[in-house]
Amino acid sequence: MTRTIDRRTFLKAAAATGIVVACGGDQGAPAGGGGTAKGTISGTVTVSYADEAGLKPKYVQLAADGLRAKYSGVDVKIDHQKIGSGDFYTKLLLALNAGDVPDVIHVGGDKIGELADAGHIEPLDGYLKQWEDWSKVYPDAVKSGVTYQGKVWAIPYGLDTRFLFYRKDVLDKAGVGATWTGPKNVDDILEVAKAVKSKVAGVIPYALYAGPAGDSGTANHAFIPLLWAYGGDLQKDGKWIGDSPALRKVLDYYGRTYRQDLSPKEILTTAKPWTAMREKLGLKGELALLFEGAWNYGGWVTKDKAATERNVGYALFPTATGGPSFTIGGPGTAWYVTAKSKNKDAAWEFVKAFNTKEIVAKLNIEDPHPVARTDSAEVAEFKADKYLVDSTESLKKARFAPPDANFGKVIGVIQKATARVATGEMSADDAAKRYTDELRQAVGADKVITQ
Amino acid sequence: MIPGGGGAAAPARPVPRDALRRQAPYLFGLAPAAILLAAFFVGPALWAAYASLTNTALVGIDAARPRFVGLANYERLLGDPDFANVIRNSVVFVVGSAVIGQFVLGLSLALLIDHAERRGYRLATLAYAAVLLAWVNPTVIAGFLWVAMFDFYNGSLNTGLALAGTGPVDWLGQFPMLSVVIANTWRGAAFTMLIFLGALKTIPSDIYEAARVDGANAWRRFWDHTLPSLRPIGALALLSITMSTFGTFILIQTLTNGGPGTQTEVIALYAFHEAFRSYAIGYGSAIAVVMLLINFAFAIVYLRWSRARA
Repeated sequence: MTRTIDRRTFLKAAAATGIVVACGGDQGAPAGGGGTAKGTISGTVTVSYADEAGLKPKYVQLAADGLRAKYSGVDVKIDHQKIGSGDFYTKLLLALNAGDVPDVIHVGGDKIGELADAGHIEPLDGYLKQWEDWSKVYPDAVKSGVTYQGKVWAIPYGLDTRFLFYRKDVLDKAGVGATWTGPKNVDDILEVAKAVKSKVAGVIPYALYAGPAGDSGTANHAFIPLLWAYGGDLQKDGKWIGDSPALRKVLDYYGRTYRQDLSPKEILTTAKPWTAMREKLGLKGELALLFEGAWNYGGWVTKDKAATERNVGYALFPTATGGPSFTIGGPGTAWYVTAKSKNKDAAWEFVKAFNTKEIVAKLNIEDPHPVARTDSAEVAEFKADKYLVDSTESLKKARFAPPDANFGKVIGVIQKATARVATGEMSADDAAKRYTDELRQAVGADKVITQ
Repeated sequence: MIPGGGGAAAPARPVPRDALRRQAPYLFGLAPAAILLAAFFVGPALWAAYASLTNTALVGIDAARPRFVGLANYERLLGDPDFANVIRNSVVFVVGSAVIGQFVLGLSLALLIDHAERRGYRLATLAYAAVLLAWVNPTVIAGFLWVAMFDFYNGSLNTGLALAGTGPVDWLGQFPMLSVVIANTWRGAAFTMLIFLGALKTIPSDIYEAARVDGANAWRRFWDHTLPSLRPIGALALLSITMSTFGTFILIQTLTNGGPGTQTEVIALYAFHEAFRSYAIGYGSAIAVVMLLINFAFAIVYLRWSRARA
């Protein structure tokens, strides 16, 4: 399999000059769509997206119907794949490299840098000038989340935020108390986990994602918030930070967590370990502490609203020293127009048709995310939902990972380092040194500093 | 893979023109296989060799403008501590599940079933079918069967332990290599068994009669007659399973995906992860090329060995 696909990339490489010229031409005239008059849009638009939970298809359909109604000459082909977003992304990259491109794609907003550098996506600035909603209802923070090298590349609709979820019923049994509202500092998380481990049988104390199996969760739901909690950061002045006192503390935290069996080792081998962890915390009460995407609450509420509200608490992430709590935000999944699309104007019209006030509000009520459009938050149903309001509020205390083309590679390095400590293969200090080496290998030695 | 090795070992003598004409029908008959091999093996392998000299990637600037980097990927590979670990894992996996597991278990099963069939035991056919079932499953299903066995929360093994009042054991976390070795042994023993069963059928029974008349016991009969007769076919079986085990991918991917950490990361998985999880096609290709060279080396060694013994 590996080799056949490589061959396709080769065909692309063989025709490299042609494609580079083609891309250059396209990028030189991104405003081409800007001048399109209404009614001239026609042809077929292929929309490719992944959704395992199945909440999105009806809204994608709604957008497609809207587009068809507006332009009689347009047909929308929907390619809905029921696979995880990671697998979808790999598949999509191979298709993009082989030149077999959908017009509209739906992937994480954190991929903007690497996709833009690869020439896979189209900047949208030309279209945005003609779309007054962009200047009216999208806040600057949202805009900056999808801006890379001065251009806007994707339209987000539901933003990511994360919470430290905890089981009130379990913590009560563990003697922590039913009125606990969150950890005082990072070590307090482990103290609570220890109390659960010693006093409540049959409950996993804590789930700390590690290793490649944790996918991007290892970075976004574990490593990065810990790094910030210990006063460290991923980058300084555009350079990636390798070994640092904060990094060693983070890895030591991993070591302490896994050595004391506070977090289950299955996280390191199970495919998609988050599936079981989310279910155990939200529905079964078999996991006490989990830092995860805020959107998971929606699935639990759908299954059993009363029990979720009674048993599941949520808090921001603490710092090591008891400073103000925070969370990690993100642009969420967003809509992109591909650079090699043959029908970019119609593709853009689809993106617009999806990102209406109504669709953005309804989808994010069902699949709880803070909304990218401020007017969607004004919808009565949205305002009445305490959880959605809290989620939106949490973004005020959110920090964001840098929109860097190498972020994906750095996540790979983070996965390796956390796995080495979690399995006990290496001490925190040795793993920190290896982290620097691998970071240099991944992004180039000139882009790495140590502290 | 084998044709390359066979070709290398064949005597290189110039073929006269009329001989070529005489052999034309055979060459014509070989053409479909040769074309398929060229399209799906030689071509991609050559491409991988080329890609391994570039920094081709799926994302970022290297995806838009890949550069020729010479032997940089191979230099990186030599200095990559993970790669040393991956080679070690591959050797343990091949020796454990192919050489020891599949080969010894396959041979034992073949001897047992052959013995039972000669005596007319009906259960022999049933046992034969059961072993074969493990092999006719698609690998990915075999993988998920073992996930269902080893799973920490709902796995059969831990459910059994719970009934016995102990456990649970984190099989894949604490004994990852042993777990994948067991799964692969189970999966592949049937192939060796089939080959040996075929070979056992070709041993004329009058040899055993003669040996029995001479007063040789069962062990002597096995050692002096059965084993030498099986040797040539055994070498080929060993070659075949070593090479296929060396390239194992799906089974380990479904069970542990190389984890925890890199404890079950074998060479094929490493190539895949570098190429399609880190999106470094160039580096992944370099790993694939090294894997190919190792497999060629295996092929040559085993072919020579089997010829010498035969």
